[in-house]
Amino acid sequence: MSEQDRAGAMPLGRRAVLTAAGAGGLVLASRRRALAAGADTLKVGFISPRSGALAGFGETDGYVLEVARKALAKGLNVGGKTYTVQLIDRDTQSDPARAGQLARSLINDEGVDMMLSTSTPEVVNPVSDACEAAGVPSLSTVMPWEAWYFGRGAKPGQPSPFRWTYLFSFGTKQFADAYLSQWSLLPTNKRVGVMYPNDADGNAIRAHLKPLLEKGGFTVFDPGPYEDGTTDYSAQIAFFKKNHCQIFNTFPIPPDFATFWRQAAQQGYARTVKIAQIAKTGLFPSQVTALGSLGDNLATAVYWHPDWPYKSLLAGISGRELSDGYEHATGRQWTQQLGASLSLFDVGFAALRASSNPKDKAAVAKALSTLDTPSMVGPVNFTKGPVGNVYATPIIGSQWVKAKAGSKFRLDCVITENATDRNVPVTAKLRPYS
Amino acid sequence: MIFLNQLVQGVFLGAYYALVACSLSFLFGVMRIVNLAHGSLVVLAAFVLFELADRAGLSPWLSLIVAIPAMAVVGWLLQRLVLDRSLRGGMLVPLLSTFGLAIVLDNLLFQRFGADTRSLAPYIGDLSFDSWSLTDDITVGRLDVLILAVAIVVLGGLQTFLSRTRLGRTIRATAEDPSVVGLIGIDARAVYALATAIAMAMATVAGAFLAMRTTFDPYSGGAQLIFAFETVVIGGFGSLWGTLAGGIVLGIAQNIGAFISPRFFLIAGHLVFLGVLVARVWLSGLNLRRLRVRAA
Repeated sequence: MSEQDRAGAMPLGRRAVLTAAGAGGLVLASRRRALAAGADTLKVGFISPRSGALAGFGETDGYVLEVARKALAKGLNVGGKTYTVQLIDRDTQSDPARAGQLARSLINDEGVDMMLSTSTPEVVNPVSDACEAAGVPSLSTVMPWEAWYFGRGAKPGQPSPFRWTYLFSFGTKQFADAYLSQWSLLPTNKRVGVMYPNDADGNAIRAHLKPLLEKGGFTVFDPGPYEDGTTDYSAQIAFFKKNHCQIFNTFPIPPDFATFWRQAAQQGYARTVKIAQIAKTGLFPSQVTALGSLGDNLATAVYWHPDWPYKSLLAGISGRELSDGYEHATGRQWTQQLGASLSLFDVGFAALRASSNPKDKAAVAKALSTLDTPSMVGPVNFTKGPVGNVYATPIIGSQWVKAKAGSKFRLDCVITENATDRNVPVTAKLRPYS
Repeated sequence: MIFLNQLVQGVFLGAYYALVACSLSFLFGVMRIVNLAHGSLVVLAAFVLFELADRAGLSPWLSLIVAIPAMAVVGWLLQRLVLDRSLRGGMLVPLLSTFGLAIVLDNLLFQRFGADTRSLAPYIGDLSFDSWSLTDDITVGRLDVLILAVAIVVLGGLQTFLSRTRLGRTIRATAEDPSVVGLIGIDARAVYALATAIAMAMATVAGAFLAMRTTFDPYSGGAQLIFAFETVVIGGFGSLWGTLAGGIVLGIAQNIGAFISPRFFLIAGHLVFLGVLVARVWLSGLNLRRLRVRAA
């Protein structure tokens, strides 16, 4: 047994014991190992929102980390050398300031070799900023890329100002393509009522998505921005009724949509809607289940689905294997974040492997810039743009329908179009909302 | 006609605000405590009701019969363990301790129930979205009518209880001067504990309608507190009919704002709140000592 192998084997045995002993023990183990860590140990930080308002996104991360740790238990082989891998996960508690703090502490105290982060600008932007400032390679996913790229100071038409930070995620164009394709599936009067809030997402969507929808041949009726936390929507509902909007599109926070949609049903608007296309809310099954019968046949769009035809590069499992494993282990229904979080590990470790020296931060960043790799969400290729440091991943139109008899869960999410990735199989016909 | 519908919906919205604010208003009237954990306690009640409906299969209305006494006990404990001790530290300590309690409660709920969004709406059939159409533009939701009726009964009932019954008079006397009532053999701590229990029973009713009207998760409490607080301030601290009026003024103001432009919904409410607050201070000089339970 070589020196490296023994160094690798011992802490892993201890880890297995401590994982069983609970997360607290794991943190202690990480600390202790940090002291012993040397040139043969790779440290990778993973930052996501596990509690607080964004906790829906982080809910599956515990399971994904387990899958990733299992896949990395034997270490990572790069250029004939095996590195012990230590994944250090942190919870932002949905607080952007804390996200930045956690990133700095992982960089300065733990000395991570690479940073991974996921889910919403409130997590990804502060983490990316900390990594760019400290010169640590950073990879992220699941937030509109425009808000990451332009939101952090890049200028349109100029080369990317970022050297250390990379993102693969969807953008406005993917939403527009998916919506235009989805809305052509049913005969409608092509009048779209939109309700975009006065927040970062809502304003970006109003500025960039709305013109694309109009160019695509739809008439958009926008009553104007509203504030998150609004508790009565009678004014908007009257406006949509007056303009006979058979298609409805919105990007609200979940409680606002529940209030709106209940009122829309009450005041007779919902039953005139043919396609109710919701985003930002309705990402996760519990948000739709909570609407009761009003949630059936809501159209949505996913950034991952177990029916996508891709495998995890790191764990070697298919989408169905991942979602079934999660449902079996937790008794809960799969969410699209499962595949997205696992793809982050796929792409991150592909970059570490491609760098030939994963301890050399500049080499890893360089490897990221030309990386072309398969992953759970499909191929990711940073040479293809749309802008430097960014790869745009697909958004696929889908619909929440009543699950087949015998299912453990009330609702099922089916794929209804595939404009942004033709490899994804369409599994159902879009049904009219009413 | 659309404007008229805005006003009608504003009244219903206001009744909902008043129901949520009721316990906050009562607790302030009796103990002069601004209970910053109010929103989280309402959400706690919503979780209790949801568990009873989801696990035990009880109808939400039956669940209320179980949950109200249970939450009253929570209220009694809350007074004995937290409020009573912090009251001894002066005006500011209860503010801090209830703020801390809100954070602890939110995170305990998250530990226990996770991040899932929940609602009682699926458990009450079509009631959550059924309505009567009066004209093409004016529709009245059945749940909204029920909320208005319950708000009148709860707030009116409590007001009557305070002004007409012996126990109610005892509570008012204690609110007036806790040390003097001690001289005639009334235990102020027991009265406070009773008042907190009543307040939590009302918070349970509020939690039920929150859960039927929209969705909630462990971190929904903060948003409930803001409107409840504005309602209480607009209606006048400690006055229960005032709370109902305050809620309706707030609801109508928000809906008129939204009629002008949807973005003015919240700001219109905040402006009315600020206007009333400034007017009160300017007219009378904000004298906290005089803010007690007022009986009709």
